[in-house]
Amino acid sequence: MRIGVYLCQAGIGDVDAVNLHSIASYAANLPSVEVVRDLGLLPKVEPDAFAAEIRAESLDRLVIAGDTPGFFKPAFTRAMALAGEDPKEVRLASFNAFGASSGNGTARAKSVLACAALGVPFPLAAVPDTTAVRPGTLIVGGGISGIQAALEIADAGKQVHLVERTGTIGGHMAMFDKTFPTLDCAACILTPKMVSVGQHEMIDLMTYSEVAHISGSPGDYTIKVRKKARRVDVSACVACNVCADVCPQRVTSEFDNGIAERKAAYIPFPQAVPNAYLIDAESCTYVQSDGAKCGVCAKKCPKECIDLDQADEIVELEVGNIILATGYDVYDATKIERYNYGTLPNVLTALEFERLTNASGPTGGKIITKTKRVSKKRGEEWVFDVDEGVPPKSVAIIHCVGSRDANHNAYCSRVCCMYSLKFAHLVTEKLPGAKCYEFYIDMRAFGKGYEEFANRIKAEGTFVIRGRTAKVFAQDGQMMIRGEDIISDRLVDFPVDMVLLSVGLIPAHGSADLATMLGLATDDDGWFSELDYNASPTETERGGVFVAGACQAPKDIPDTVAQAAAVAAGVLKSIATGRGLNSRADLALSDIERRATSLVRI
Amino acid sequence: MAIRANPKLIEELETYGAQDVSKCYHCGNCSATCPFSQDPYILPRRSMRSLQMGLERKLEGDLEPWLCYYCGECSQECPRDAEPGETMMSLRRWLTSRYDFTGISKLFYRSWRIELAAILLVAMLTGLGFFLFGLSQGNIHHYDGVNAFLPGEKIHFFDWGLAIVLLVLLLTNCARMWWFTIGRDKSKRVPLTAYIKSAYLLPMHFMTQMRYAKCERKRPWVIHLILMLSYVTMLILIMFFVKRMAAGPAIDWRVHAFGLAATVGLLGTTIFAVRGRIKKTENHYKHSHETDWMFLILLIVVAGTGILQFILHRSGLDMAANITYVVHLMSVVPMLGLEVPFSKWSHLAYRPLAMYFAEIKAEAARAEARASQGVRAPQAA
Repeated sequence: MRIGVYLCQAGIGDVDAVNLHSIASYAANLPSVEVVRDLGLLPKVEPDAFAAEIRAESLDRLVIAGDTPGFFKPAFTRAMALAGEDPKEVRLASFNAFGASSGNGTARAKSVLACAALGVPFPLAAVPDTTAVRPGTLIVGGGISGIQAALEIADAGKQVHLVERTGTIGGHMAMFDKTFPTLDCAACILTPKMVSVGQHEMIDLMTYSEVAHISGSPGDYTIKVRKKARRVDVSACVACNVCADVCPQRVTSEFDNGIAERKAAYIPFPQAVPNAYLIDAESCTYVQSDGAKCGVCAKKCPKECIDLDQADEIVELEVGNIILATGYDVYDATKIERYNYGTLPNVLTALEFERLTNASGPTGGKIITKTKRVSKKRGEEWVFDVDEGVPPKSVAIIHCVGSRDANHNAYCSRVCCMYSLKFAHLVTEKLPGAKCYEFYIDMRAFGKGYEEFANRIKAEGTFVIRGRTAKVFAQDGQMMIRGEDIISDRLVDFPVDMVLLSVGLIPAHGSADLATMLGLATDDDGWFSELDYNASPTETERGGVFVAGACQAPKDIPDTVAQAAAVAAGVLKSIATGRGLNSRADLALSDIERRATSLVRI
Repeated sequence: MAIRANPKLIEELETYGAQDVSKCYHCGNCSATCPFSQDPYILPRRSMRSLQMGLERKLEGDLEPWLCYYCGECSQECPRDAEPGETMMSLRRWLTSRYDFTGISKLFYRSWRIELAAILLVAMLTGLGFFLFGLSQGNIHHYDGVNAFLPGEKIHFFDWGLAIVLLVLLLTNCARMWWFTIGRDKSKRVPLTAYIKSAYLLPMHFMTQMRYAKCERKRPWVIHLILMLSYVTMLILIMFFVKRMAAGPAIDWRVHAFGLAATVGLLGTTIFAVRGRIKKTENHYKHSHETDWMFLILLIVVAGTGILQFILHRSGLDMAANITYVVHLMSVVPMLGLEVPFSKWSHLAYRPLAMYFAEIKAEAARAEARASQGVRAPQAA
């Protein structure tokens, strides 16, 4: 066999991570490699010229090596066909796809190239040795994906430690009213699972806790979890609400995404698991004054379960596997000034609207506009007032807020089209007289029953307008929206009472720290990198560390649940066999070469 | 009518400076951001669409590119970095070359080397001609008087000659612009009254550029207006008051005050523009075509040598003044003779004409709509 190696760079990702010169000289020394050429950045590949070269050198395999070699594959395939060779013998050595971006980038790139030259898929050759695995599992994040994975593993009889940052598990799904495309009640699906987690004997639930330190090696990790002072004894609290009643401090509620208030002594929502209150140290008068003032809740608590002087506690765990299920945050809409989010009161983000339309939300599920309230103490503010608020006569929903935009996030957030359609349904259902407008760029209804759902929304009378809105502004006290209706080829400019911004998804805050702690790679946008997008979407470069749900990439609930279950299968496999995989990152170039060569002989 | 598509249209426009047109995914952000976008002229997305579809003939008849003043809001807001602002700029260059029947404009825009060579050639010929003319009938040591090297009144004949040639060229191009945008379209009949009714728009837009003032940022308009007014002042002074300007030794301040103000205006604004283009201070300064540079440099040389020969003459350095005067003419002739009919400067005619035509076409469309009462209600898709 005569092999030609062509280095072509598309300039995508961390291009400085590899030393191309060193890779080229390595390639030249590989067996059967006859031609090595560095074509540089974004070369224009002329199939005819390359066909001539293939004929002249009588090459029968081409290896395109580079950050994203798939970019150039069509031209080389054509060249092979023109030269009368087998077009299937164009092999890709993709540095980006196989993680050649971290510290050992050049060595990884060489091993990827060696596998491509030998015609062996890299994931087959780059399999690390196994190592003994401890039976316990740590799950970081208590959203739907963490819950699902925890239940799968615990139901199999294995110990799970579920660490959640907030006071309750449930994550974003607990905030939702309905799920698309079935319009099921989100809480009806989620809360039974939450309760199961809370009561499961194999699940050690640690809410209001954060992973502080991770050490050890695959199969044998030692975790330090900082249990933040909850100041309420979870086992004793009966959620009677007395502490919240007497608490004088009001702050905006995180669970309600800022559209309602909570006290410093609070429970995130009534169905929280664990069903216990907590004291928010940052707003508590007692804590902030170092015990000089207030302390009323502790005195009034009928169960005497409040300890305002409680301190943070570090708990040490020993586990074999770690599942990251840290989820997402939403894009900060204030960064897009033209939508005037934050200045116009009735411009809401998607999560705010989820709480507004949720039957357990601050308005009891009534969709109303905000009313102005002026008080001496707090000045002028706009709030949702169930008594005074009026339902909007027209609602505009803007897709792709912060997504698919070179100025913000270039990627598609995947869920926004569908939840926007769900919003349109909820608006038309709850406010029969109201007009609802959807401004979209491309309608991405890609899942089972999704396209049908989109058609149903259109049939329900929502005005679905192709074209992203450019501006939301106020004119003589009336909110106006301006955009282009591309299908009808005209500008639209009309008054609306409420604007919903379909904000995109970004990695959860703190996930970058977690990645550093674990030495885990993230992609350019901050999502955790999986081992292989197609073949191992739940594993990572680091052995015994798995990813589930939206922390890997934006995902909807069905996909998240599926991935969480898949992760559980991987974890259970390693526990059942007692052996797990080491980190691929620790594999030496010679190991991969040796294994690839042995695979060729077979 | 059959519609012809030119699949290479984007590639063609790229030779005029356009970039990334094919990146556009038609979200409509740009059109809704643009302060000029208003039915029936929706810009710039419609032009992006026509370009992607290769609708050459439709684009030839479009006025939209001339309605854009390149504030750059669209390029800034564009989620695809498709540079709609720069596309409109390139379309203006492309349209200029389409209106120009000689084909010279096309050559100039597509190859800066040819334009530069042409400018240099014309400059050399002009310099040589005036130098020989001066030596044949005057004394290089005399700026004015009987033995003047280049007597003002004789040069003035040349001025008028050039003016007439330019006017003819420009008017034919304008006529072609009318044909492409209004005349050729048989489906729309524009009544003569519409032409008369809107005629006031022509001088108004020419003198005030009030449409430019509608951009969110006002400074580009102010700079442009100062530049334009300075130039017009200078042109009027030279064409009608040249005798009083050249008359010495007493200075006629009624004329010279205008002259000095215009010089300051010209130099100030051109230097501002050069600095802006180097430092990319404004959106419309971010991408500089070679023709932009040539135009600016010519303007600076013209204004600089103009004031320098005046100073030298007043300082009694007649020979230096004469040489500077020849250099001045060497820059004036290519600037007027090449830039006005064939290059960047032709916009002095096309811009106001476009506003005028746009209003006429809109008026005709409104009349038609009234006849068929075509206001559509929003439709559910």
